[in-house]
Amino acid sequence: MNVVETSGLGKRYHSTWALRDCTLAIPAGHVVALVGPNGAGKTTLLHCAVGLLTATTGKVTVLGDLEAGSLDALERVAFVAQDAPLYRHLSVQAMLGVARNLNRRFDEEQAERRLHTLDIPPDRKVGKLSGGQQAQLALTLALARHPDLLVLDEPVARLDPLARHDFMALVVTAVAEDGLSVLFSSHVISELERVADYLILLTHGQVQMAGEIDELLAGHTVLSGPAEESGAVTERFPVVQSQLAGRHAQLLVRTNGRSDPPAGWESDDVSLEELVLAYLREPSASTLPGPLNFMGNCTTEVVL
Amino acid sequence: MTVLAPVPVLPQVHEHPVPWRPMARVTWLQHRGGLMGVLALFCACALAIVLERFTAPSHASSLLIRFASPDAFTLLVSVIQLFPVVIGVFVGAPLISRELESGAFRFTWTQGVGRTRFVITTLVVLAGFTVTSACVLGALLGWYIHSFEVVGVQSQWQSGLFNATPVTLAAWALFALVLGTFLGALIGRTVTAMAATAVGGVALVAASNLDLVHRLLGVAPLVTSRIPPMSMAIGTLNSTSYAGGTLSGGWLVRGWVTGTGGRELNRLAAYNVMDHVQTAVIHGLTDPTRWLSLHHDAFWMSYQPASRFWIFQGVEAVVLIGLAVLFSFATVRCIRGRARA
Repeated sequence: MNVVETSGLGKRYHSTWALRDCTLAIPAGHVVALVGPNGAGKTTLLHCAVGLLTATTGKVTVLGDLEAGSLDALERVAFVAQDAPLYRHLSVQAMLGVARNLNRRFDEEQAERRLHTLDIPPDRKVGKLSGGQQAQLALTLALARHPDLLVLDEPVARLDPLARHDFMALVVTAVAEDGLSVLFSSHVISELERVADYLILLTHGQVQMAGEIDELLAGHTVLSGPAEESGAVTERFPVVQSQLAGRHAQLLVRTNGRSDPPAGWESDDVSLEELVLAYLREPSASTLPGPLNFMGNCTTEVVL
Repeated sequence: MTVLAPVPVLPQVHEHPVPWRPMARVTWLQHRGGLMGVLALFCACALAIVLERFTAPSHASSLLIRFASPDAFTLLVSVIQLFPVVIGVFVGAPLISRELESGAFRFTWTQGVGRTRFVITTLVVLAGFTVTSACVLGALLGWYIHSFEVVGVQSQWQSGLFNATPVTLAAWALFALVLGTFLGALIGRTVTAMAATAVGGVALVAASNLDLVHRLLGVAPLVTSRIPPMSMAIGTLNSTSYAGGTLSGGWLVRGWVTGTGGRELNRLAAYNVMDHVQTAVIHGLTDPTRWLSLHHDAFWMSYQPASRFWIFQGVEAVVLIGLAVLFSFATVRCIRGRARA
């Protein structure tokens, strides 16, 4: 089952396309990181997935074939928006009451337990909580719904490193305990490798790269060797990014299953941060699985 | 990191995700500040009415003297007439605009209840509160002015009071609440929506008092020529027929005089005829109607009998409730449309 599946998804604000021809399929059971530069369409994609926005073109379904934003989907998809907007004039306890009464599935005991563990006082006004505590509260409210899919929009963007760590730890714990799928957008690439196992890179409103992180890393390598022989490398491997330093060349290439480097060249593993930055610097490069044939048959191709 | 976890068995999802009663509790939690403010205004108005009523003199002459300096009365009626506008401004306008402005809609509209059901339930709960409070306030005002009605110095037909009975005040409160909600959803800015609701609400109340009620009460009046023309004016009257007259407790719409062949006389000719009648009465004429008949003239009057009062109240209420329903649909369309924005 795909937790999110889009087909030709497009969203236009007046004359500007925030998303265009976005086709992807995110399988269940993953923690999916959605990354991309500012204005890439990450928030728009997430808002489409939770029904806050409707598509201009194409369609988006969640948890199999549920229409995004339908009551059936809302019952099973929890969303924590950017900056965790809650009712600032209500107390934490009242906020729990609001969430409990707005959802059929809401585990108030679990929420109270988590808030107690996080040392968030129930009688404090939401507006008086720190940014980290507000984010934790929003996440607690979302997790108490026992969602099958948790969608987080830039959840750690305004948190300090400690709060960021605590927040992501709570996500990881929930994933381990409840087996839910998570889709989150982030600019903090260092957080991705620790938490996510699936990556979607969005650029200019289109999916540039998507796949399991382990497979993406295994499918790329950094080749170092003499610059004058780089032509031989580019004939064998699609190059994502090349860097020349005098007579020395360093190429990040997609191996397409071939692991043997050319003679005179050294091969090094690529880190997730290097990979993401390389693709961000080369918006014309892409590596995409086919959305509908994900289960074992995904088509992967590189366009340079 | 790779997470190895079984995909859980998904529970049955029900058609209606959240019952109404919990939704009402959410409405109370969210809007208790505004509702308490409205309740405070309601209590202040109610207390003022009760105090005015119990300090009012019991006999007619004293009531007339009291009516001659109507500061407290006018102020009280004005405040009560603006009660629906206050509801529209402080309860209706912020209802959705505050959600949009603060971004809290991204929390509320993604909960299991869904945005449409959330907004409709909130509106229904708030409408119940405002309609009940306005209805009680209208009834208290009616009880207060009854003492003035019996001595013939006030009548609920008068436009200001016509809009402040239990029926019409409740309908106005409902309309103002939904109008404010719609403007809030449309504009998306709380202060702007409140200002727009205040301006629109006051303008509509004023237009109703000065013109619309008179137009409504001019629909399908009864006509009679059996009214003695003494002290009667010609042309548009829009006034109450006070106690003691033939049309006691009714609403006078228009008076005119017809001459030979039943043709309506112009204003100058009509006043000439009326002057002749006045002169004849001064000289001992006892039956002016018969006198007019002998001169092939007649004084006519169109009016609404007292028995129609609650019918017109119902008509105005139905119009306002109908508009409230239309604005409710428009509000729902507006928040659904926000997904397409």
